[in-house]
Amino acid sequence: MKRSRIEGSIIWFAALLGLWEIVSRSGLVSQLIMPPVTVILRSFAFEWGSGELEISMLLSLGFVFAGISAGGIGAFIISALSFQFDAVKRLSGMLTAVLHPLPGIALLPVFILFFGIGRITLLVVIIHSVIWPLIINISAGFTSVPAVYRRIGSNYGLKSAAFFFRIMVPASFPHILSGLKTAWARAWRAAVSAEMVFGITGSGGGLGWFVYNKRIFMDTPGMYAGILMLAILGIIVESGLFNLIENKTVRRWGVSV
Amino acid sequence: MRKLVVITLTLSVFLFVSCSDDKSVTIAEQYGLAYAPLQIMREKAFFEELEPDFEVKWVKLGNTAAIREAVLAGEVDAGFLGIPPLLIGADKGMDWKLISGLSVCPVGLVAESSEIPDFGSLRKDHRIALPQPGSIQHILLSMAAERERGDPALFDGSLVTMKHPDGMMALLSGAVDAHFTSPPYIFMENEGGGGYETVLGGTEAFGGEFSFIVAMADGAFIKDRPELLNSFLTALERAVDFIGARPEECARILAGIYELPQEDILRYITYPGMKYTTEIKGLGRFIEFMTENNYLSSGLTESDVLYEGLRD
Repeated sequence: MKRSRIEGSIIWFAALLGLWEIVSRSGLVSQLIMPPVTVILRSFAFEWGSGELEISMLLSLGFVFAGISAGGIGAFIISALSFQFDAVKRLSGMLTAVLHPLPGIALLPVFILFFGIGRITLLVVIIHSVIWPLIINISAGFTSVPAVYRRIGSNYGLKSAAFFFRIMVPASFPHILSGLKTAWARAWRAAVSAEMVFGITGSGGGLGWFVYNKRIFMDTPGMYAGILMLAILGIIVESGLFNLIENKTVRRWGVSV
Repeated sequence: MRKLVVITLTLSVFLFVSCSDDKSVTIAEQYGLAYAPLQIMREKAFFEELEPDFEVKWVKLGNTAAIREAVLAGEVDAGFLGIPPLLIGADKGMDWKLISGLSVCPVGLVAESSEIPDFGSLRKDHRIALPQPGSIQHILLSMAAERERGDPALFDGSLVTMKHPDGMMALLSGAVDAHFTSPPYIFMENEGGGGYETVLGGTEAFGGEFSFIVAMADGAFIKDRPELLNSFLTALERAVDFIGARPEECARILAGIYELPQEDILRYITYPGMKYTTEIKGLGRFIEFMTENNYLSSGLTESDVLYEGLRD
């Protein structure tokens, strides 16, 4: 089952690359917009060799992990408080309803006003993009925990912190995990697009800046090399990291939905 | 499974096929007072008067990269941009030509004069907002950095890329220390109070007068529809002449479009250093500087980028 899934992905991916190569070499479109895959791969190797791609990747990864960690802790605290106190629940419900649909980019002028132009603002944009979906998922997870589990917890005499970490978190882990998956995708989008709106050269930009800069100087193969890097990271984290977490947790605990 | 893949991929090919239309011309522009003749040309229907059977479609694109991509996709026939991005495209092998000048503008680097009284006091740790690397603003800054400070790349690590309105906000809020901008933003920043002044003018940076915005046309458009191109150039010339001859009427037309008071627009379009002209200025110097500093690598010359009709 798992093996055929991987084979399926490989067939699709190879087919897409093949189609890309055919369209690019057909003369239907300009190679300046759609360079052949072979040229893109060569550029990828060149950018990797020069170190530029790795540095951008590490910077972006750093931002994304920092944003998800900070947003995750915040979302967990807010969700736990909402679960305990109705007033907090109403407040977080209202904030989520208002702020979740707003793209971080739309709020960028406000963020720049308060946090200036720099790494803090980028981090705030990422936190904004991850915290609301996480709150929604974690809260949904908490409310979905059957009352019988909670009673077991109180029968064991578990106090609030232990109760949360030993009953609520494991029981709602499938929701938390799907929240984290959404957060991962959102964080990347936020990091990449924020860097495209305000890029800071020289002082080290991430993959968003890498892609944008290549586009400005019309290094199209280089631009696609950056996009390819984003795709590869997505695949590694999605089918590597998240799969691993899933296997170690929800599948083993038998709480997967 | 394989069948599904084939069907999906075949359908996706249609995404790349776009409809082209022989009865229209699509022109790309950007935002700012430097593009004023285009608004006049449109309002006064100068082109439609010459070519009643054709429709002109105007598209406003956010940056020059988008203009290049639209031209490559066959979606845009002609457009307006700064000389450097045009050269970068030509250098990478794009078949497009410079067909006319449009405007000479008082662009410049604006900063708070108490903090940065002149270009010499600009430091590497100051943050400079400008539209993007490789833009005319960036090239002008590099030119001044080379001449006055001996290193063209001196401020390359200090750049923050922002559109003009965002850059103005960033300057006024103190998020950046300087802003390389163009009309009307340069006027607003200088006249808005708060002690902001132009510390480096464009002409000073360039070492002479240069075309800020020029017109380009796609190679296929030039080759396939030369009469249409001529009409377009004639209409452009009329629009430029119209601004020179009747600035008040232009200000009235433009006030509605830029949502600025008519008297401000009149002052801006007649500002010292603001010229609408189809003459192309400074092309050779841009090519020379950009080649020396590796922005261009194909050994581009003036005649490679100039439309044949202009080369005499």
